[in-house]
Amino acid sequence: MIKQDIKLLEERSIYIIREAKTNFKNVAALWSMGKDSTTMLALARKAFHGKVPFPVIHIDNGIDFPETYEFRETLAKKWNLDLIVAKSEIKPEMSGFACCGANKTVALKKVLKDYGFDGLIVSIRRDEHGIRAKERVFSPRNKNFKWNYKNQVAELWGDYSSNDDSDGHVRVHPLLDWNEVDIWEYVRRNKVPTNPLYFSRNGYRYRSLGCLHCTTPVRSDAGNIEKIIKELETTKDEERAGRDQDKEKAYVMEKLRSLGYM
Amino acid sequence: MIVNRVTLLGNKDHGKSTLIGSLLMETGSISEQRIRDAKKTSKKLGRQFEPGYILDSFEEERLNEMTIDTTRAQVKYRNTGFEFIDVPGHEELMKNMLSGASYADFALLLISAKPDEGITGQTKRHIFVAKMLGIRKLVVAVNKLDAVNYSKERFEEIKNDVGDYLDKIGFKNINISFVPISAYNAENLVKRSNKTGWYKGKSLMDILVEVSKSTKKDVDGELIIQIQGFFDKERKSVFGKVISGSIKRGDRIILLPSGKSTKILKLFESGNEASSARKGSVVTLELDKRIGIDARGLVGVKRKSSCRSGSNIHAMLLTTKRIGGKPSIKMNGVEIDCMKMTVKKMIDVTTGESMASGSIKPLNAGIVEIKLAKDIAMDTFEKNPEIGRFVFYTDRKFSGIGIITE
Repeated sequence: MIKQDIKLLEERSIYIIREAKTNFKNVAALWSMGKDSTTMLALARKAFHGKVPFPVIHIDNGIDFPETYEFRETLAKKWNLDLIVAKSEIKPEMSGFACCGANKTVALKKVLKDYGFDGLIVSIRRDEHGIRAKERVFSPRNKNFKWNYKNQVAELWGDYSSNDDSDGHVRVHPLLDWNEVDIWEYVRRNKVPTNPLYFSRNGYRYRSLGCLHCTTPVRSDAGNIEKIIKELETTKDEERAGRDQDKEKAYVMEKLRSLGYM
Repeated sequence: MIVNRVTLLGNKDHGKSTLIGSLLMETGSISEQRIRDAKKTSKKLGRQFEPGYILDSFEEERLNEMTIDTTRAQVKYRNTGFEFIDVPGHEELMKNMLSGASYADFALLLISAKPDEGITGQTKRHIFVAKMLGIRKLVVAVNKLDAVNYSKERFEEIKNDVGDYLDKIGFKNINISFVPISAYNAENLVKRSNKTGWYKGKSLMDILVEVSKSTKKDVDGELIIQIQGFFDKERKSVFGKVISGSIKRGDRIILLPSGKSTKILKLFESGNEASSARKGSVVTLELDKRIGIDARGLVGVKRKSSCRSGSNIHAMLLTTKRIGGKPSIKMNGVEIDCMKMTVKKMIDVTTGESMASGSIKPLNAGIVEIKLAKDIAMDTFEKNPEIGRFVFYTDRKFSGIGIITE
């Protein structure tokens, strides 16, 4: 995995976050309390001189890790975040596609409608998944949340505000260019707070965090940030190997995303 | 590490996705799982594994064996980072192709050596696109050489065809290299192939390393700041990006197109107060006076500058669809209506021939004069590309790109 120029990535992301704030009437960000969306908030604080200038939404299905909830409360207070918790009811018989697709997406639809958000900042990265690599920085969704991936908008020279006819909202992806190792390098240099579950305990750590049901830890002895960076520079394993929705069967991710999943 | 962004160019089915897939595998830049998954999928489809499957990850792309939208993949080789931008080669997907290619530092053009393939109209169109995107470094890989017995004659023939077209469209000052390859069989990709004994040059990856090193040192140039918008409700601070040059606290700048002069009282770089900022920086500027109701679209320069403001532009336009309806351009982050557009010359990009009059056909180019509804800040594309290019719309739909020529 290539370690890219952090300063360059930071400048690109700040520019994009400012574009999002400037181009939409009512923008919000998704926050899963993971390393990526927390890094995005750290970048937003730089872009707006210490204050995150938009609400942050947690789509809460009630089955995130206890550490994750604790992290949410602590950081929301410390960074003075305008936190919106959008609850989605989890039913025991639901799993995988139904849970991520129907459940999370329904909750997201409701919160966007209730607050009238027209822009939504989502911290996905190209290197996470082949389908996410196909994304634009500004990516419209229609009112049914459908991603028209067969006919995406034009996006030239970093002009992200191309015209489109979507009647829904626009997803904004400020971290698209970042690699997993870049996130950790940024966390290290800027002391971005992180969920303790990322660090190895008893030979295992979470490399990517989802909810309790669908996330499994990977073998690792990386107990601190430096060791995680070292591990990532040489690994041949996929980051989301512990995430069920990516592998259930071919194209699950594509289908989930076309329905409105992140 | 700074990653060199390399866009692929070339006709559909000349092997762009296959080449990137092969390079990812040959340089060990991709996880075993991604390769296993792609192999599994091709087996399920009852097809032989094809390295392009790693890149083309939409179901439709694999079923139809074509790239629909642009994607990127990174490779590290001999301590140099590359990001390959895969783009669709189909004519009707030019919008997607341009979206990917516009980010490139240099280009890798693929031409199939098969007898019935070679340099096509679409190949030429892509070379024209490279010219319009300001690409000054081009590596031409003559692919599928295995299909013509690794023939030197065929390689030379294609080389000459490319040279002829470059002459015809006046594409000068370009650093160009040629390499014979087979993307599918990984010949001459990383190691030099023993099947092309007549070829004395380097492997493709080694050429790319060489080309990336030849990038001339960033000469800073004159100050240009693109303003994104107001930072505060009082409208006394603005934020934007330094496109070229550098700026210090206390400097006086001129804001185009209005021409208003203002002093920078305070300067912030990436949110932190600083005494100066340079090319690439994202800045917040606290100004000594209010500058008006709109900040977006303004360009900050020093008193002596080659940039100017005006509402008349002379440009080269490349269209992606039939021009009809109400034209507008998007430049410096704002959209402006075109009051009048006159075609001075039209260019058939598939041959390089130009004609004195007529209308610009879809997917072709022309020289135009445009009268805008209001003034904008600009320079020629040659001098300052970031404020010398625009996106072209008709009826608010993406219809092409343009570069300012005078």
